[in-house]
Amino acid sequence: MPSDRRLHPLSILFNIGRQFGAIALPLVLIVVGRGTDEDRWNVYALVFLVPYTAIAVGRYLSFRYRYEENDLVIRRGFFFRNQRHIPYSRIQNIDAVQNVVHRLAGVVDVRIQTGGGNEPEATLSVLTLADLDEMRRRVFGTRAATAADTGTPEAAPADTAEELLHLNARELVVYGLVENRGLIVVGAALGLAWELAPSKLVEQYMGDQASRGLVHSLARLVGAEAGPSWSALGMGVLALLVFLLMTRVFSVIWALIRLHGFRLTQQGDDLRAEYGLLTRVAATIPRRRIQTITIRESVWHRVCGRAAVRVATAGGKGEERERVVEQREWLAPILRRERVPELLDRLLPRVDLRAIEWKPVHPRAFRRALVRRLIGGVWIVLLALVLFGVKAAWGIPVIALWAAVRAHLYVQHLGWAITGDVVAFREGVFGRRTTVAPLVRIQVVELAESPFDRRTSMARVRVDTAGGGHGVDVPYLPRHEADALYATLAASASRTAFEW
Amino acid sequence: MELASTAEPEAPPSAHIADGVSRPLDPRYVALERLIGWIATAVLAAAALGGLGVFLVVARPGWSAAILVSGLMAAGLVLFGWWQQAWPALEYRYASYRVDGNGLEIRRGVYFRAVTNVPRSRVQHTDVAQGPLQRRSGLATLIVHTAGNESAVVELPGLTHDVALAIRDHLLPGRSDDAV
Repeated sequence: MPSDRRLHPLSILFNIGRQFGAIALPLVLIVVGRGTDEDRWNVYALVFLVPYTAIAVGRYLSFRYRYEENDLVIRRGFFFRNQRHIPYSRIQNIDAVQNVVHRLAGVVDVRIQTGGGNEPEATLSVLTLADLDEMRRRVFGTRAATAADTGTPEAAPADTAEELLHLNARELVVYGLVENRGLIVVGAALGLAWELAPSKLVEQYMGDQASRGLVHSLARLVGAEAGPSWSALGMGVLALLVFLLMTRVFSVIWALIRLHGFRLTQQGDDLRAEYGLLTRVAATIPRRRIQTITIRESVWHRVCGRAAVRVATAGGKGEERERVVEQREWLAPILRRERVPELLDRLLPRVDLRAIEWKPVHPRAFRRALVRRLIGGVWIVLLALVLFGVKAAWGIPVIALWAAVRAHLYVQHLGWAITGDVVAFREGVFGRRTTVAPLVRIQVVELAESPFDRRTSMARVRVDTAGGGHGVDVPYLPRHEADALYATLAASASRTAFEW
Repeated sequence: MELASTAEPEAPPSAHIADGVSRPLDPRYVALERLIGWIATAVLAAAALGGLGVFLVVARPGWSAAILVSGLMAAGLVLFGWWQQAWPALEYRYASYRVDGNGLEIRRGVYFRAVTNVPRSRVQHTDVAQGPLQRRSGLATLIVHTAGNESAVVELPGLTHDVALAIRDHLLPGRSDDAV
């Protein structure tokens, strides 16, 4: 029988140290604030130390780990007990951290990481070096055997790089205009000004001029009995236009610098994106690590006949020390819409975006989408009535009509499909997003039913993958179709093995 | 009640947990949740009483105002207590789980219902957690961790401790019956 082990007894001291570190500053402040009375300092230190010591000792006593045949088992907790099983095959990294004190004591802080979550799945603080060696041997020792029979896929021949996309200056200008990152530039400039300028000056300008001045004039504009003067209104509109124009110009400049010379190439199984004038970025995206692909078409994209493609990647096994759980990466910051299928073909050869038969949602989905948007509109109407009185009543039909148009477009475009080992989902009113997720990448499938769904016999099917961003989340499905989709997705996910 | 439910023959032996049959939670979950509800109600009542005391001393309201405020508070407390006692039974009625060769399926939610499916091949690691009250009634919470994003942590409370362990053992990879 595998026997339970404990951490190194020094864990108690390290634990106290860490806990104490968190409150050290407030403690000092308290002591300084009350003057430098020797006795008081001791009392405070004692008051704070006693519970921390008790907690640290309790933690040490309740923390056990053992090696079972297939899993590392960690038990902890005294009142709230927890028993965690981590299969050896799922462990990606065993990180050992040693600071100066650790080194002097000959111990290490061990962190075990698997694919789930953002934090280490287990922190063993602290172990001796011999314990760490044993852990590595036990965890990765079994790994060698299983890795051998699956074979390493890294042996792919190093093909020559093939260019998939290159953005010239013209495309970057279009990108800048479409994406409007100008506010980032403005924000950064303001932040910089705040940092650099003498605080008095900033305060004077920002505090007095800007905030008070702006609030006052706004209040005067809204609350004036005579109503706003036309010249003031015209000036305001003009200023707004100039501001919007300026942000677009900034955005173009930002795009030209940030994405300068964007090139997407394919080399064997890896995609490589290189860009940047000042900060040169070279990102490698292994194809097998792509979780989902999202095609985004904003209103401006559609006006210009463009689209943006992003992928969500996950994981990191073996050589990489830094683990990135969720990362969204540009595959194509901007490209012509007709070239999207071609690019997608590189990633998922068995999927033809043009040939997808999008399945619609429930025929009565429009009513639900409309109600949803009308409820949103009610607030605007109420606000308008409060601010402008009964005059604002004419806005009600306008808002209702607007809601109807948006609901109609939304439901029209809503669609899902399962084709060639992927599940696809699209949504949007004016700006649209389409996400494609390979069935192999599905982590968890969920079928959800709100009370409104039940009244109209609809349901929502949600797919969770290891990548973030826009996902597959299909609302307003007819109940029986939702059941079928849920069952299909769950079954195909369980049939396949997930690999990083 | 504890004795009765452990003596019942339907308590599933660990070998047959993965039979694809939908099972309810342990009935003791309702009692446990109600107990927690009583504790919450007591804490709230104490806080309300304290608040009322401060209000009466500091604001010195007239008789009618004092009666109105304490009446409202009492009504709120009764409502809260009633909800705390009624809700667990509803929750229990609509909660179930199913384990088969493919993985774990959890059904939960009274008004907003959801069926969550975790394929066995996607389980990264698992926790079986027990609080002090859960331990007293022999219950446990099974927590399944996946590499997912929003559903990275899937929890199933209200299991008999043995059942939680059995499901845990079934879900972990590397067992002899592992087909993947």
